Amino acid sequence: MKTVIKTTDLTKIYNSSVAPVKAVDKVNLEFGEGEFTAIVGPSGSGKTTFLNLIGGLDKPTEGHVMIDDTDISNMKESKLFDFRLRNIGFVFQSYNLIPVLTAKENVSFIMLLQKESKAKMEKRAVEMLEQVGLSEKVDVRPSKLSGGQQQRVAVARALASKPKFVLADEPTANLDTESAFNLLDIMSRLNKEENITLIFSTHDQRVINRARRVITLVDGAVSKDETFDR
Amino acid sequence: MKLLTTLAWRNLWRNKRRTLITISSVLFAVFLAIMFLSMEQGSYERMIDSMVKYSTGYIQIQDVLYDDEPSIDNTMVFDEDIELLLNRYDEEISYYVPRLQNFVLVATENTTRGSMLIGIYPEKEKKLNDMTDDIVEGTYLEPGDDGLLIAEGLANILNAGLGDTLVLLGQGFHGTTAAGLYPITGIVDLKVPEINNNTIYMSLEAAQWFYAADERLTAIIVMPENPKRTNQLAGKISDEIDSEWYNVLTWEEMLEDLLKLMKFDMAGTMVLMIILYIVIAFGLFGTILMMMLERKREFALLFSLGMKRSKLAAICFMESVFITIIGVISGIIVSIPVVAYFYHNPIVLAGDMAEAIGEYGFEPILPFSADPSVFYNQALIVLVLSILIGLYPVYKVFKMRIMDVKS
Ligand SMILES: Nc1ncnc2c1ncn2[C@@H]1O[C@H](COP(=O)(O)OP(=O)(O)O)[C@@H](O)[C@H]1O
Ligand SMILES: [Mg+2]
Repeated sequence: MKTVIKTTDLTKIYNSSVAPVKAVDKVNLEFGEGEFTAIVGPSGSGKTTFLNLIGGLDKPTEGHVMIDDTDISNMKESKLFDFRLRNIGFVFQSYNLIPVLTAKENVSFIMLLQKESKAKMEKRAVEMLEQVGLSEKVDVRPSKLSGGQQQRVAVARALASKPKFVLADEPTANLDTESAFNLLDIMSRLNKEENITLIFSTHDQRVINRARRVITLVDGAVSKDETFDR
Repeated sequence: MKLLTTLAWRNLWRNKRRTLITISSVLFAVFLAIMFLSMEQGSYERMIDSMVKYSTGYIQIQDVLYDDEPSIDNTMVFDEDIELLLNRYDEEISYYVPRLQNFVLVATENTTRGSMLIGIYPEKEKKLNDMTDDIVEGTYLEPGDDGLLIAEGLANILNAGLGDTLVLLGQGFHGTTAAGLYPITGIVDLKVPEINNNTIYMSLEAAQWFYAADERLTAIIVMPENPKRTNQLAGKISDEIDSEWYNVLTWEEMLEDLLKLMKFDMAGTMVLMIILYIVIAFGLFGTILMMMLERKREFALLFSLGMKRSKLAAICFMESVFITIIGVISGIIVSIPVVAYFYHNPIVLAGDMAEAIGEYGFEPILPFSADPSVFYNQALIVLVLSILIGLYPVYKVFKMRIMDVKS
């Protein structure tokens, strides 16, 4: 299996006023193409920090992040913006959607920035909204959608532009159980159908068992890395 | 670009009420400023207009020495050469009006007073300043007339009426004494108090005889077909005329002091408007600032997704400019009919105000100017202002760090 992301001695230290915090501590991990992986651990274990580092949103204190053959840990900001736009899809815990755009426009957003042709973009956006079960909500703005529906639009957007991989930081944290399962099912199915690497973090026991690989962080370091056949 | 414009436009209406209030404040400021300026410029235009009409004309040909020392001795000779020259520019000259004027003492049995005595060609003068409708009593002048057409205000001061005889006493050409008895054959209301209290007209021939200044004029007033081409026409005449004897002046040169005074007075209005605009700028800035602060998480989202800083900056900049453009345009739209109304129906002042203004020699009305500059100057000032304010979010967006706004 082809490696998409590779971290070497990845470390992030926050200099807080009390004492320095090692949020991510010498993490060496590889993620392969088409993986569906959960990063788990209690609150404060470094999940968000780790995802920010491999997503190019934050700079490591030490170590490297390689995406395919590109080291993004030393990349200049303007290049990094473009790199994220072309290669990485994001789903956040909350505040995922642009309030003034409709569901379809939100799903098209990345493709718009990529200057994709209008016809292609339109088709793909509608198709992705169908995939996440929201074909009825194409022209609805986020404020008229439930929390679960908003997260599904975010997933549709992250996958619509066919990035190398998608990072989802606690995507189910604000959802009720049914919506949470539903979202994970959709993510899992799209991961298979589109063959896009999908990494999500969670401390939610309900959804951990949906992942085919589970990496456990404790105090910023990898304590377990298990693979399941499902 | 379309995406950015769409986003900026829709962002404006997320908080409809706030945006509308901000737009209204811009509208209000623009409206007020236009009213101020229109009134101020309007009274200047009116002043200049009546100065040009009653006294200077657009162009004057004078003796070279007259401008520095306006006396009967420095009058010019109106000969054939001048007439030929003026005839050559017939197409560009609407008409010209010869005048011979100087200060005289006017006396009745009981009162003596200084006044301007103006000798005119009645028919030519009519084109410049048709007084026939303003004759209160008696008749207008005829060529070669020996009577006086006297301003109503002066008549009142002198307590003289139609048919009364006035004694005129002044200095004639080359030190002669000019004196004579003349009957009042007409009384005219000259509107502007300063002029109305101080003017007597007589026929040019009578005036030349009175001043012992045969063939002489203090000035020829030249009215161009197109007043906008005043300077070109004056230049052409000036080039051809004998500059040893004659001087060609435009109204701008003749009214230089008045124009300076107006500019100076304008500065006062500008200060007032700057204060007005500063207040509006703070309001606008407050709105823009709020729009920034409340959207930090959205900015983090856009950055994370890979929207470039320059694009986000462009959105924020457009938001600021949109608000002001809407405000400016609606301010102009609202003020156009108001200005148009008062342009055609100037406010007539009454009571103390009228008197106070009258004392300065102005008509007691508040005319408005409909000059386009009144409008586009406002638009320009406010637009520049909004661009300056719009630069703040641009600066902020470029300085913002993703991780600081993300959580
Ligand atoms: N910006 C920051 N400044 C200082 N400390 C931080 C910052 N972000 C996270 N941390 C600390 O780093 C550790 C890891 O945090 P985080 O990555 O958010 O964990 P998780 O997502 O698993 O809850 C925590 O102890 C947190 O307090
Ligand atoms: Mg977290």
